[in-house]
Amino acid sequence: MIDILQVSTFLVILLIGVAWYLSYSAARLDRLHAKVEGAMSALDAQLVRRAEAALELANSGALDPASALLVADAATESLERTTEQPVSDDLLDGQHFGGREAVEADLSAVLRAALTDDVVEGLRARDDDLASEALDLVGASALRVRLARRFHNDAAREVRRVRAKGSVRLFRLAGYATMPEAVEFDDDPPATLGR
Amino acid sequence: MRIGIVCPYSWDVPGGVQFHVRDLAEHFLRQGHEVSVLAPADDDAPLPAYLTSCGRAVPVRYNGSVARLSFGPVTSARVTRWLEAGKFDVLHLHEPVTPSASVLALWASSEPVVATFHTANLRSRAMHTANPLLRPSMEKIRGRIAVSEEARATVRRHLGGEAYIIPNGVDVSRFAVATRRPDWVGTPERPTLAFLGRVDEPRKGLEVALRALPAVLDRHPGARLLVAGPGDATDLLRDADRRAAAAVEVLGAVSDPDKAALLRSVDAYVAPHRGGESFGIVLVEAMAAGAPVVASDLAAFAAVLDGGRTGVLFETGSDAGLSRAVLDLLADPSRAQALRSVGQQRARVFDWDVVADRVMAVYETVIEGAESEPDGPMPRGLWGRLVRGVPTGGGQ
Repeated sequence: MIDILQVSTFLVILLIGVAWYLSYSAARLDRLHAKVEGAMSALDAQLVRRAEAALELANSGALDPASALLVADAATESLERTTEQPVSDDLLDGQHFGGREAVEADLSAVLRAALTDDVVEGLRARDDDLASEALDLVGASALRVRLARRFHNDAAREVRRVRAKGSVRLFRLAGYATMPEAVEFDDDPPATLGR
Repeated sequence: MRIGIVCPYSWDVPGGVQFHVRDLAEHFLRQGHEVSVLAPADDDAPLPAYLTSCGRAVPVRYNGSVARLSFGPVTSARVTRWLEAGKFDVLHLHEPVTPSASVLALWASSEPVVATFHTANLRSRAMHTANPLLRPSMEKIRGRIAVSEEARATVRRHLGGEAYIIPNGVDVSRFAVATRRPDWVGTPERPTLAFLGRVDEPRKGLEVALRALPAVLDRHPGARLLVAGPGDATDLLRDADRRAAAAVEVLGAVSDPDKAALLRSVDAYVAPHRGGESFGIVLVEAMAAGAPVVASDLAAFAAVLDGGRTGVLFETGSDAGLSRAVLDLLADPSRAQALRSVGQQRARVFDWDVVADRVMAVYETVIEGAESEPDGPMPRGLWGRLVRGVPTGGGQ
């Protein structure tokens, strides 16, 4: 009789423990998912800002017409992709960057090609407030794109690590949330603006 | 912006992390932000207005040396009270794995968290064995900063994941305008070299400089080596070459203005360090003051000197390499002049204006991420933590 009592008490305690652990893990995973979503939104916002700043620089008349065209083209492409395929839509069915990597990498490469050290030095020397301001904006948003992408990828890695745990997989604690992926694209800023 | 910064080491003791936190906080205050710093400190010590003490620091062995840390229930309660009163937009923790105020703040926080890693050689066993203990709270960090490539490697190895490198800042203008001291200024007959750092610590490499000195004295018999830094040099000087020992002037520990004046005055600053350096802030200070830098080719130093473009690198530990570099520099005044000007330009990269702007960019990125999270009730207190896990400032 006592044996049954002891065993059942033990079982109840064990069950409570398991239940607590599972709900704790689920809450933790939930918050990690929320963190990735926030980081992705931040990355998206910074990319839009970078494209807008690049477009403004191209339209300021400070660059030579050929560079301005190239920059404007790449920036418009990036902006079109953002409006066409907003990341916030993707959030509903999981974390996707919407295949924008190539477009954003193109903009990074074009900015680097157009804003070489000599060009930036020349623009700064011209004492043109508008051009200087546009340059500062491009530099600031390029830096923030880098930061936001790294922070997003860190958060995505944390989710993936927790979701790889046996208990999380066995009890399907992640629900239907898609596995977040790291976003990889070339985001090196123009040399003189990146520092 | 309301910024909360936590420093894990005792405010009363000078140290790299403390200076970093002080300079960063004062820079943001000058820009008009609201800044509050939490650090261990003696309550009766004179503290700046922005500092809150989280209790007295206790000397403990940690990470291979004795650190003055603060922990326990009293500290924990003070940390929580500081967080509640502060209502910070962002919380910036320094050395978040050091068992002191930073860990406690990370545990209790619900704000967006940024963490800066300073240590290059983390040897704590707890980082391996107690990882499950730290991991859930480490997940609250939204932005990681490392002060150097070495510090970033430590983050990668022990915690996994990345860190963004933002170097230490230097108040470049202070060094650039320091006044020269006539008795430290070199002449063509009596050139002066400067050494800075603890004299009795082998890895600072004073001994290498002493071995290199005779070759320099052969060509410039009047050359002087000005040695500034705490510690006892008598043993080293007794064992050194007689001529070299005679050419050394020991200045002892110098004040900040004297350090700037020294670097402004000399013909070259020598950094014969043998290792264990994660950044090399003195090199930046020397460049800011316009002193040509001759440094051993440690990875950290090569990074600061832009691969040798803005200073002279020699093989670490090689006295022949050091003396050759110094002689070449003294023989070519136009080269020395060129190094002075590229050095001053290079130093600007490490100016607090530039560095703090990048830290601010991290704050803004992190806050934006936290704000665009899908909202949920924020668990507070012990019960919330037990039932809902560690809060990250959002979630559902």
